[in-house]
Amino acid sequence: MLQAFSLYWRLIGVQLRSQLQYRLAFFLDVLGTSLATILTFATLAFVFQRFGNIAGWSLVEVAFLYGMVEAAFGVMDLVFSGFDPQNFGKQVRLGRLDQLLLRPVDITVQIFGSEFIVRRLGRIIQGLLILAVAIGMVDIRWTMGKLLFMPVIFLSLVCFFGGLFMVGATITFWTYDSIEAVNIFTYGGSEMMSYPMNIYQGWLRRFFTYVIPAIFLLYYPALFILDKPDPLQMPGFAPFLSPVVGFGVLLIAFVFWNFGLGHYQSTGT
Amino acid sequence: MRLFYEFSLRSFQRQLIYRTAALAGLVTNFFFGIIRIAVLVALYGARHEVAGIPIEGAITFTGLSQAMIGILSLFSWYELMNNVYTGAISADLLKPMSLYQYWISHDFGRAFGQLILRGLPMMIAYAVFFGISTPQNFWQWTGFVISLILAWAVSFSWRFLVNLAAFWIPNAAGFVRFAFILSWFMSGFLMPLRYFPDWFIKLCALTPFPYMINTVVEIYLGVVQGTAVIQALLAQIFWLAGLILTGEFALRIGIRKLVILGG
Repeated sequence: MLQAFSLYWRLIGVQLRSQLQYRLAFFLDVLGTSLATILTFATLAFVFQRFGNIAGWSLVEVAFLYGMVEAAFGVMDLVFSGFDPQNFGKQVRLGRLDQLLLRPVDITVQIFGSEFIVRRLGRIIQGLLILAVAIGMVDIRWTMGKLLFMPVIFLSLVCFFGGLFMVGATITFWTYDSIEAVNIFTYGGSEMMSYPMNIYQGWLRRFFTYVIPAIFLLYYPALFILDKPDPLQMPGFAPFLSPVVGFGVLLIAFVFWNFGLGHYQSTGT
Repeated sequence: MRLFYEFSLRSFQRQLIYRTAALAGLVTNFFFGIIRIAVLVALYGARHEVAGIPIEGAITFTGLSQAMIGILSLFSWYELMNNVYTGAISADLLKPMSLYQYWISHDFGRAFGQLILRGLPMMIAYAVFFGISTPQNFWQWTGFVISLILAWAVSFSWRFLVNLAAFWIPNAAGFVRFAFILSWFMSGFLMPLRYFPDWFIKLCALTPFPYMINTVVEIYLGVVQGTAVIQALLAQIFWLAGLILTGEFALRIGIRKLVILGG
């Protein structure tokens, strides 16, 4: 275990050094990725001047959701980039996974250490910044419970997205190419969660409640933190399902990943 | 013209090979379209019209802008940059036409392929599932089509220009991504520019971005009408010319620095 960790850090260290080689290019890259977060939010802020609110949520309340999703997705993208289905599918296609499998080190550790995209820091920092401003501006009645619950919400989100990445990566053992449906859940899911999810109607909301229970990861916890009433009349414990969903998805993903590894057949390239 | 046609055709045929990829892209674009509709409907609430755009127009806007992702290659286009780095640009430069002409003919085929495979099916899906508004008369349709072609040309010239950064920066991917993100924000892709504060609309008008998407959307929705349509088209032509000239100028300076290693 200890050895796995030290190996992981060394793999990450290599990535860090290589990515910091071209300083200007790296700087522009970080700036570029953080700009995406800020400008998307600026669009929302401008539009709110015209519209006032969305389904009763003010701009700063939406900022709470947006900052949380962006920062959590950014952290996940940093830690789990080795499993990014698009990237991982390519490794499978090119037979690079075979190389890794031949090494006498745990494959999962190697995949975790295979990719560490430092420019994601831009997204994380901007997300946290927006979250901090939102928390400063919304009038939250803080209690001990809420304070302790905040990092739980955050970690659950990271686990949830990470789990989706792992599932997406595992699917490529059979398909050899990332399937678009996974993008819909990861990128589409993060987009959906940055708005109050009661705005989605019919099958769309039911799907993200009962099949992919994304609604419990941020919308319900946010209702609890911000003391907002629940228009959907879910049971009172709904906000506290977030760790169950987050860690549950990651756990299932790990099981599925190990199952996939057992059934992996090389493309022969 | 003959060469333009041949290069376009090759590039168009190449698009047709990746039909599954196009279908997957279409599904994703459509899904994001559904989310964007939900957001706009919730923002409108009980209001029927905001900033001159009725709710049907707002829904149509999400369809149009999602349909344009493929046509304008709105999320990424690094082909020219990559060719500079791999040295493949030496072959591009040997073509019996200028680098800009070669790449724009290539991109025309790509854009047309995306229009057929993703743009039109998207609008049809929107028309079936959500109901969209359409231009009211022949002149509005004509204005829309001309504006769409000009928007593509402006977008291409912009992508060509920023890709030229590869001559100066050892890894220009970040710079190009930066340029793309800026274009989402200021082109009216994320939201119609009319919803924005006046000072910001004026600021955007000083950049080439609104002429890539916002102009097309406003002409399609009939938000601009009469002589204003002609004015909008002229503005697109003005920016197209400006970007082409800047691109040629940058290319001339950049090409002197170009060193291609053999092997």
